[in-house]
Amino acid sequence: MDSLRQEKVQKFEEFVDRRLKPDLVHAIAERDKIFDQQKIFSDLRKNIENLEKNSVTSLRTLVNLGSEVYMQAEVPDTQHIFVDVGLGFHVEFTWSEALKFISLRKEKLERQIEEYTRLIASIKAQIKLVCEGIRELLQIPEEKTVEGRVF
Amino acid sequence: MGKSQVKGTVTSLSSMFPAEEVQKAAKMVEDKLSDKQNEMNQLKEFIANNTSLINLVQKLPDELHHDIMVPFGKAAFFPGRLIHTNEFLVLLGESYYTERTAKQTVEILKRRGKSLESKVNTLKAVMQDLKAEASFFDSTASEAAEGLVEIREYEEDNSTERASQSGSLELETPSVAEADNKMGASEDDEYARIMSRLEELEKEELAAEDNEENLEDEDEDANAVESDGNEDELIKAAEGDGDEDEWTKAAFHRKKDECYSYLDHGQRYSESQSRKQLQQFNGKEPIEEMSNKYKHQDLTNQFASTGLTEEPVTKGEISHGRIIQQDTKSLSPSINASAPFEKKSVQASKSEFDSSKAFTGSIVEHTQNLDKSSVGTNMTSLQSSGSQPSKPVSRFKMQRK
Repeated sequence: MDSLRQEKVQKFEEFVDRRLKPDLVHAIAERDKIFDQQKIFSDLRKNIENLEKNSVTSLRTLVNLGSEVYMQAEVPDTQHIFVDVGLGFHVEFTWSEALKFISLRKEKLERQIEEYTRLIASIKAQIKLVCEGIRELLQIPEEKTVEGRVF
Repeated sequence: MGKSQVKGTVTSLSSMFPAEEVQKAAKMVEDKLSDKQNEMNQLKEFIANNTSLINLVQKLPDELHHDIMVPFGKAAFFPGRLIHTNEFLVLLGESYYTERTAKQTVEILKRRGKSLESKVNTLKAVMQDLKAEASFFDSTASEAAEGLVEIREYEEDNSTERASQSGSLELETPSVAEADNKMGASEDDEYARIMSRLEELEKEELAAEDNEENLEDEDEDANAVESDGNEDELIKAAEGDGDEDEWTKAAFHRKKDECYSYLDHGQRYSESQSRKQLQQFNGKEPIEEMSNKYKHQDLTNQFASTGLTEEPVTKGEISHGRIIQQDTKSLSPSINASAPFEKKSVQASKSEFDSSKAFTGSIVEHTQNLDKSSVGTNMTSLQSSGSQPSKPVSRFKMQRK
């Protein structure tokens, strides 16, 4: 009887360690990627708004040729900006169009983030469930939420 | 000499290098190897990037302007032009930049490439070493699995040491010898100390026979001083090849003249023990156990006659060494290695000592043949020690008997 219980406990623990925890890590990583993208687009939006505010028509920048070797570059006309819309395509926008696009993009990204957050929460709940099951098996007295994070 | 002169040990490889541990070691080395491989790949990538950049920098000044898409953040581009095509801003590190022409930039990049190449070369060397280690571990693991056995034979002429080892084992010997050498070095100190105590004891005995205990004190002090200074020499002498043999031979001859018949045995015995054996000796612990067991016996035996019971501690240590020699026959042959070492170290120290200190203590002998003779010689040595200006070497050689 006891050995059976031990086996079950072990199986549960293995399940948690091998399936649930890596899943959790994976989901968190994906969500972080989306956060990064979101940040990129919000930066772009700020820059465009800046350009618009100062009515900058031409621009001088330093372009990284690789290994931190820079060369001066000039942008004569800043009215048209090419924005990456995914799948390797870049669309030529005017400033206002670009801003609209960026806000649309942001919405999409936020929805994705929400999805990932839900996934992460469910994985965490599963882990907690399995730990509770182990506790019952071992008949450890139930602890209140004071314990904090189990895993 | 016949078989009686040959002592040997048979050690199963698997006991020396457990198969699991060898496999673990092999895995560790493989992991390290893969890490180094990754680093190597990264470095090669850097080198490739560097060369392509050099090409680009060389080509850019060909035109006044280049039409490009100028990146604006990570997700947007501006159509634009590259201007001032001969001016490059190069990062030197630590947020220091410099404006350089194309030629100068190329030079900078070439120097960077050279340093990368040298890094790659060192990494290659390290990887080679790791590979050699890995192959060695693999072969050891396979041998241990097969149940290969390492056979060491000790003979008089030192030339037949490690007679029957497998070829690949010789790879291990450097590391094993190193480890043993280190052990031997620490053990040398112990033995030197023990031998110095032995010397002190002997001097005391001599003095007791000749004079009263007053002389003993003087001798002991002198001995202590000398022994301290001689410990290093002891170690050196003990580890020196060839010299000791000659030295022991000479001492033995002298001893013969002094009526120590068992010197012959000792001489043979000392020759039969090579320094390598000593250095590979790992059986210190059993010796200590033995000495503890027999301490009292020897103390009563050896020091009752000399009446030097007042210093049981120092004598005990000396007897410790003696006991070791006495009981080595009953121990594994590896312990025998220590005894000759002691003898040799003692001999070395003895040479520094003043010849008036004769050996009066018991002599420990390793071989079974010599045991009986050692008992007899012990008695004779005790009796005749007073009358002889024994050379320091000879005293300990007699001990060996």
